[in-house]
Amino acid sequence: MTAFVIFTLLTALMLTGMPVSIALGLTVLTFLFGFTTVPLESVALKLFTGIEKFEIMAIPFFILAGNFLTHGGVARRMIDFATSMVGHWHGGIALAAVVACALFAAVSGSSPATVAAIGSIILPAMVRQGFPKGFGAGIISTSGALGILIPPSIVMVMYAVATSGATYTGPNGEIVTSASVGDLFMAGVIPGLVLAAMLGSTTMFIAWRKGYPRLDPAGWSERWRAFSRSFWGLALIVVVIGGIYSGAFTPTEAAAMSAVYAFVIAVFVYKDLGWRDVPKVLLQSANMSAMLLYIITNAVLFSFLMTHEGIPQAIAAWMSDAGLGRIGFLMAVNILLLVAGMFMEPSAIMLIFAPILFPVAVALGVDPVHFGIMLVVNMECGMVTPPVGLNLYVTSGIAKMGLTEVTISALPWFYTMLAFLMLVTYWPELSLYLPRALGMM
Amino acid sequence: MLRWLDRLEEVLIATLIALATAIIFVAVIHRYSLSGIAGILNWARANDMPWLFDAARQAFNAVRSIKLTWAQELTIYMFIWMAKFGAAYGVRTGIHVGVDVLVNALQPKQRNFFVMFGLLAGALFTVIVGTLGAYFVWELYHTDQVSPDLEWPMWIVYLAMPLGSYLMCFRFLQVAYSFSRTGELPQHDHGHVEGLEEQA
Repeated sequence: MTAFVIFTLLTALMLTGMPVSIALGLTVLTFLFGFTTVPLESVALKLFTGIEKFEIMAIPFFILAGNFLTHGGVARRMIDFATSMVGHWHGGIALAAVVACALFAAVSGSSPATVAAIGSIILPAMVRQGFPKGFGAGIISTSGALGILIPPSIVMVMYAVATSGATYTGPNGEIVTSASVGDLFMAGVIPGLVLAAMLGSTTMFIAWRKGYPRLDPAGWSERWRAFSRSFWGLALIVVVIGGIYSGAFTPTEAAAMSAVYAFVIAVFVYKDLGWRDVPKVLLQSANMSAMLLYIITNAVLFSFLMTHEGIPQAIAAWMSDAGLGRIGFLMAVNILLLVAGMFMEPSAIMLIFAPILFPVAVALGVDPVHFGIMLVVNMECGMVTPPVGLNLYVTSGIAKMGLTEVTISALPWFYTMLAFLMLVTYWPELSLYLPRALGMM
Repeated sequence: MLRWLDRLEEVLIATLIALATAIIFVAVIHRYSLSGIAGILNWARANDMPWLFDAARQAFNAVRSIKLTWAQELTIYMFIWMAKFGAAYGVRTGIHVGVDVLVNALQPKQRNFFVMFGLLAGALFTVIVGTLGAYFVWELYHTDQVSPDLEWPMWIVYLAMPLGSYLMCFRFLQVAYSFSRTGELPQHDHGHVEGLEEQA
C-alpha cells in the first residue's frame, strides 16, 4: 500500500515534466509530512550527508577529465586512428566509426557528446563515399552509447554509490557488500570490447551484403602515426584502470589524476584548448556535476524512505512467494529498466532503481558486480530507445533526419544490443572473469 | 546587481572544482614523493653516498612536515558548496531535465500550465529545503561542533545548504517569471562539442 502511494506520487510528479530531482524530493517531503513519523531533522541531515562521501567526488572529477578531452580535435585523432586500422575491412569507414565511437566515448564519458563529435565529422565523410545517411546515423547513435560500459564510467560510480552503505544477506544467509568502483570498472572492460565487436560485426555484415565501399589498407607507418597522435587521449583509460588496479590510487584519486592529466594533454600536448578556454570547461563540468549531485542527494533521500518503509524487502518476499527465481527476476529487471529507459535519463534510473533492486538481486544470489554491469547495459539500450533517447535526438540533429527515421535506421544495432544484453544477463562470467582473474574479487 | 550575482555564482563554482582537483592532485603527489624520497634514502645508504643520503633526509623531513590530512575533508566541503550553488546555476542554464514527453505532446496552453507548475514546484521544494537547512544551521550555531580535521565550525560548512537552496529557489522564480513573459525556457545542449566548427 505504502509502496503504491509512493510510486504513484512519484510517477505523477515526474509526468508533469518537472526535474527528476525535484519530483524525487517532493515525493519524499509529501510522504514525510503526511504519512510517517520520521523526524524532519534526520531528513535535513540526509540532505547534506547524501553527498558527503569521498567516493561520490569521483563523478565531478571524471566529468572534468572528459570535458577537457571532449573536443573536435580529439575526435578527429580517434577517427584517423580507427580508419587506419580497420578502414580496409568490410564496412570501411563505417566500421571505423564504431571503433572511433568506442574510443572517444570511453575518454569523454558522455554518450551524446560522442555522437555529436564523431558523428558530425564522420557522417559527411560517409555520405561523400556513397553510404546511405541512415546507415551512418544508425551506427553513430548506437555506438555512441558504448562509453558507459568502458571505464572510466560515471554510471558505474553511481551504481556503487547508490548501493553502498548497507549490508545485505545472500540466499544462504551470508553477508554481501556492494560492488566497489574498481571491480565494476574492471568488469566492464571485456563486455565493452565484446559489445564493440558485436556492433562492428553487424556493421560489417550489412556492408558486405550491400557491397558498401572499403578503403585501401593504410601502411604501417601511417598507422603508427595515427596511433601516436591518438595515444595521449587513450592513455587516460590506462591512467584510470592502471592506477586503480595497481592500488596506486583510490577511484576518486584516479579521477582527480585523470582530470589533471586531461588538462595537461588538452592544453599543452594537443593544444586544442587555450588557457582562455579553461574557465568555460570548468564551468560546464561544474554545471553537469552539480546537476548529477543534486539528483544523487534527492535519490539518497528517496532510497532512505524506501528502506525505511521496507520496500526492497517486501519486493524480495513477493518475488520468492511468486516463485520467480533468479532467471525470472533478471528478465523482469531487464524489462522494467528498458521501459524506464524509454522515458528517463540513465543516471536517474540508476539512482532510483538500483537501491530497490539490489537487495532483491543479492537475496537471489546474483553477484553485485555482475548485476551492476547488467544495469549499465540496460542504460545503454535506454539511450537509443524513443521517445526519450538522448543519442537519437543528437543524431537526428546532426544528420538532419527525423527522429523516427533515425530510430528505424538504428534498429539492426539496437537488436544487436538486446542480444548482448541477454548475453550479459545470463552469462555472469563474461563480466566477472577479468576482476576474478586479476584477483580483485 | 543581478549580473553581479550571476558572475559571482559562476566564478565560485568554477574555482571550487578547479581547486578541489588541484588539492587532490597535490595530496597524491605528496604521498608518492614521500615514498619516492624514502627510496632514494635507502639507495644512498646502500651505495654509501652520504651527501645524497643527507640531502634526501632533509628533503624527506621537509616534505613530511607538510601535513595534508585535511585535504580530503576540504575537498568534500568544496564539492558540497559547488554542488549546492551549481544546482542553482543549473536552473539558469536549464540542465535539470525531467520527463517532458507527455507534457510536450499537449496543447500549448496546457503545456504552459504544466511547465509553470514544474517551475513553481521546484521553487516550493527548494524553499522548504532551504528553511530546513537554515533551521539545522541555526541549531548547529548554538553548539561548538567543529569539523574533524580542519576544526572549522560546522555551521559555516553547512551554511551551503540554506544559501544554495534559497538561491536555487530564486532561480526557479526567475525562470518562471521570464517564462511567463516570453514563453521561453533555458535549454541545455547535451550534444555541444567544441572544435567542430571548422569542419562544417
